[in-house]
Amino acid sequence: MVKPLSAKLWRDIRRQKAQFAAVALTVFLGVTIFAASYDSFQNLTASYEATFTGFRFANLTMQGGDVEAFAAEAAATDGVESVQTRTVADVPMQVGATKFLGRVVGMPGTDSDVNQVRVIEGAAITDPGALVVLVEEHMAEHFGLHPGDTVIVAGQTVAVGGSVSSPEYIWPARSRQVPFSSPDNFGVVFTTEETARALAAAGPNEAVVYFAGGEPDAGLAAGLTTRGRALGTTSVFTRDLQPSNEALQEDLKGFQEMALFFPILFLVAAAMAAYVMISRLVWAQRPHIGVLLANGVRKRTVLGHYLGYGLVPGLIGALPGAVAGVLLARLITRLYTGLLAIPVTLVKFYPATLAGGVVIGLMAAALAALAPALFASRVQPAEAMRGNTPPGRGRPSLLERLIPPLRKIPIRWRMALRGVGRNPRRTIYTMLGVVLSLVLVLVSWGMIDSIEHVLDVQYVEIQQEDASVRFGEPVGQEQVDLLAGVPGVAAVEPVLEMPVTLGEGDTALDTALIALPADTVMHRFLMDDGSWGSLPAEGVLMGVGIARRLEVRTGDVIPMTIAPLGVTVEVTVGGLLREPLSSVVYASREYAAASFGTLPATSALVSYDPGADPSLVRAAVTELPSVSAFEDAKAIHRMIKDFMVLFYGFVGIMLVFGGAMAFALIFNSMTVNIAERNREVATLLAVGIRRTTISRLITAENLVVAAIAIPIGLVAGHWVSAQAMASFQSELFTLDLFIRPTTYVFSAVAIVLVALLSEVPGLRALRRISIPEVVKERSS
Amino acid sequence: MSISIRNVWRTFGEGVTAVHALRDVDLEVPQGQFTVILGPSGSGKTTLLNLVGAIDQGTGGTLEVDGVDLGGLDDKGRIGYRRTEVGLVFQFFNLIPTLTALENVELVAELTGDDGAARARQALEGVGLVDRVDHFPSQLSGGEQQRVAIARALAKQPPILLCDEPTGELDFETGRMILALLRRLNRENGQTVLLVTHNAAIGEMADRVVRLRSGAVVEDRTIADPVEAEALTW
Repeated sequence: MVKPLSAKLWRDIRRQKAQFAAVALTVFLGVTIFAASYDSFQNLTASYEATFTGFRFANLTMQGGDVEAFAAEAAATDGVESVQTRTVADVPMQVGATKFLGRVVGMPGTDSDVNQVRVIEGAAITDPGALVVLVEEHMAEHFGLHPGDTVIVAGQTVAVGGSVSSPEYIWPARSRQVPFSSPDNFGVVFTTEETARALAAAGPNEAVVYFAGGEPDAGLAAGLTTRGRALGTTSVFTRDLQPSNEALQEDLKGFQEMALFFPILFLVAAAMAAYVMISRLVWAQRPHIGVLLANGVRKRTVLGHYLGYGLVPGLIGALPGAVAGVLLARLITRLYTGLLAIPVTLVKFYPATLAGGVVIGLMAAALAALAPALFASRVQPAEAMRGNTPPGRGRPSLLERLIPPLRKIPIRWRMALRGVGRNPRRTIYTMLGVVLSLVLVLVSWGMIDSIEHVLDVQYVEIQQEDASVRFGEPVGQEQVDLLAGVPGVAAVEPVLEMPVTLGEGDTALDTALIALPADTVMHRFLMDDGSWGSLPAEGVLMGVGIARRLEVRTGDVIPMTIAPLGVTVEVTVGGLLREPLSSVVYASREYAAASFGTLPATSALVSYDPGADPSLVRAAVTELPSVSAFEDAKAIHRMIKDFMVLFYGFVGIMLVFGGAMAFALIFNSMTVNIAERNREVATLLAVGIRRTTISRLITAENLVVAAIAIPIGLVAGHWVSAQAMASFQSELFTLDLFIRPTTYVFSAVAIVLVALLSEVPGLRALRRISIPEVVKERSS
Repeated sequence: MSISIRNVWRTFGEGVTAVHALRDVDLEVPQGQFTVILGPSGSGKTTLLNLVGAIDQGTGGTLEVDGVDLGGLDDKGRIGYRRTEVGLVFQFFNLIPTLTALENVELVAELTGDDGAARARQALEGVGLVDRVDHFPSQLSGGEQQRVAIARALAKQPPILLCDEPTGELDFETGRMILALLRRLNRENGQTVLLVTHNAAIGEMADRVVRLRSGAVVEDRTIADPVEAEALTW
């Protein structure tokens, strides 16, 4: 570019620094979010991979059945590097006064070859027969356990040898079916295989397989899964479906989607703000462009010059944005891995993210500048140098045409209405800005509403019990009656829970059957159509996620294998449920008894007498010898709500970013609107119309634009939020979008306030208009 | 309404960059007089008009309209003055493109009373545009737009009409028609008219011609027998 043009570029930018800053800010936000979320995703993925490799995290796990035979076959299979069998059992545990159903995991040898653990405190167990356990770190932290402490495992007092981290329990989930457990209700201890067998009073019941190099191999996994099922497994799953890992991968998916969705939103907004500003600039500078072209400046020079108006704010926003994002990613990664206690944290510098951030920021701004720059390069010099521009096309507004009485309102308000359609493209971009801002706000806020709603539906509307009690062994009615006799207990409903496999072959799904009294009042059934239903006399109820996975509908008959009983029965799908956080199937105890011939209770739902003290009830219930665990039904609800603090922080940041984006866009449109109408405004002032009246007119015009855009934004925000929620659907979760009406109202009000705020600089500029100067200018 | 301009200065900038747009200007314009202010570019004629229109303020001297010192008015007072006492006609028409001819006039007429619509229509009739009232500026010729601008200035029935190069953007025929219109309105309504132009020929139709050069009055003469606008040629 020739030197004087460079000077012109910088001076023009300096003269409109607020508008260019608005574009740069929006680019900055978009690129920052991109780099922060994408690098966080990469860092976390790398951290997980390093953890999985370092700990030789199993590629495949088989539970139940003939695990020794399976292990022998697997060990002889090509592509398998290591196989081990071990004993894993859920057994009663007690730490202090807290009784719960914990898990003991056997470690073959002194150091497992698959699913290794890392000692955080204390020392590895060297004596195979020692009654010593290593406590998984979440449990150790929750109960404050250290070497030398004792815990009761399966009725035996064992010493705590230390605490360990494990790739299997980064997110301490009991199973895929029970991904959330409060720390008072679930904990894991590791011990030698010999001790595990002794505590569990059972032999090896799990085989863990590590593929060559730990690399996933779908074909190998499928082949081994088939063998596992043939050998009577109750559950077989790959690393992807390992309960803890699956939960973590869901979170990672969120980062990945965020790295795509939010930057697109911001960069589109930045592009629109840049387009509005540069288009106006080119239009105003048509005579100058005409002079340049008339004097022999090449078209491509003019093109490059006006592209510069996009590239400069693009670079100013993108470069620091990429750096800030990369730095933010390091912070997020460390916070995240610290919060979840991920054993290995890898924070790397990814030059591609930095470069990618700069490139996408520049591209957004350059694309925005392209159309006006092309226009500039195609200006006809003779016409442009005359400086005459046709007066704006006038016609009654669409609203006036649709609603004729509006033609009778005072002229100044008609003027405001018509101002909306005066520059349709700019109006559309301003509206799009409002729409994008609302989408951003609603997606963030809608996530909070939906999760809170899901928790309320699951823990308030569906689960009516005050507590659930697990028995150490399946019990008969007499133990249930004993429980019902505890002071403060109003009612008890016995529950039978059994691992089952639904379907067969490749589509088989491992889950659990929950058998409840047919007339249960402690668990309600939210049907797929939103109504409340009851257990069918025949067949089972299952979640829509499971039905979708198995491709079955109400009335279909599918095989259900109950491995512990060694039976496979045909069951009818009696109905579909929209239970948000459950992936089990339900049947009545009567149906279960008739079908499988067994009716003990593995657990019970309990309700309290009005006014009963929950802590006293808990103390009395856990005194019963048959009771191994007691869980306050509201504890998980409270625990998840505590985690929501993170979401509130996220929403807060997104609201600020959304507000900044809306401000930048509306501010630019407003400033251009006012600049374009300087002469009109000056004329109105000259003929005696007050500045406050003119301010009100301009405000009204912008509010009309916002009023038209807000409903569109609310609908678009709802739709995008629904898509975002849909991406989290699985057979484990049925997450429906729920946005409170007040959220829509507050979002709309927030955008209106931002719109009003963004007008302030433009309206202040009205005071600086020099009437004598402006009324003498040619129109532009 | 008479205009009294005494020792008026208007200086832009300070120190070495100071530009004296008006230097010690003295003028007394009686009510109903049609005065043409002539001068080349930069002579200060528009600045003088702006001071009389109270859209600018002098830096020295006094400017009174019917005994009211415009320099003593605050912002609110100046707005009130512009609303009721003066009508402005600009070289570039300055119509609001989103309003029809009638609405453009009515917008201003509304400022001075309830019967704005009637006065607006009457003003447009006065400039011969009764059949174009519902047209938008983009649908009107330059001459028609300027007639709308004149109607807008007249709709509030101001005692003073200030016209800044009203024919500058018009072809000869149209310009002459506009001048004839202004003269007719001046005679019919008795308004004081100050018309700024660089076109010396236009001075021949005035009651008085004031010539400015470099911000100072260099000629001030009364025309005993002004010609009709239709007879002007340039």
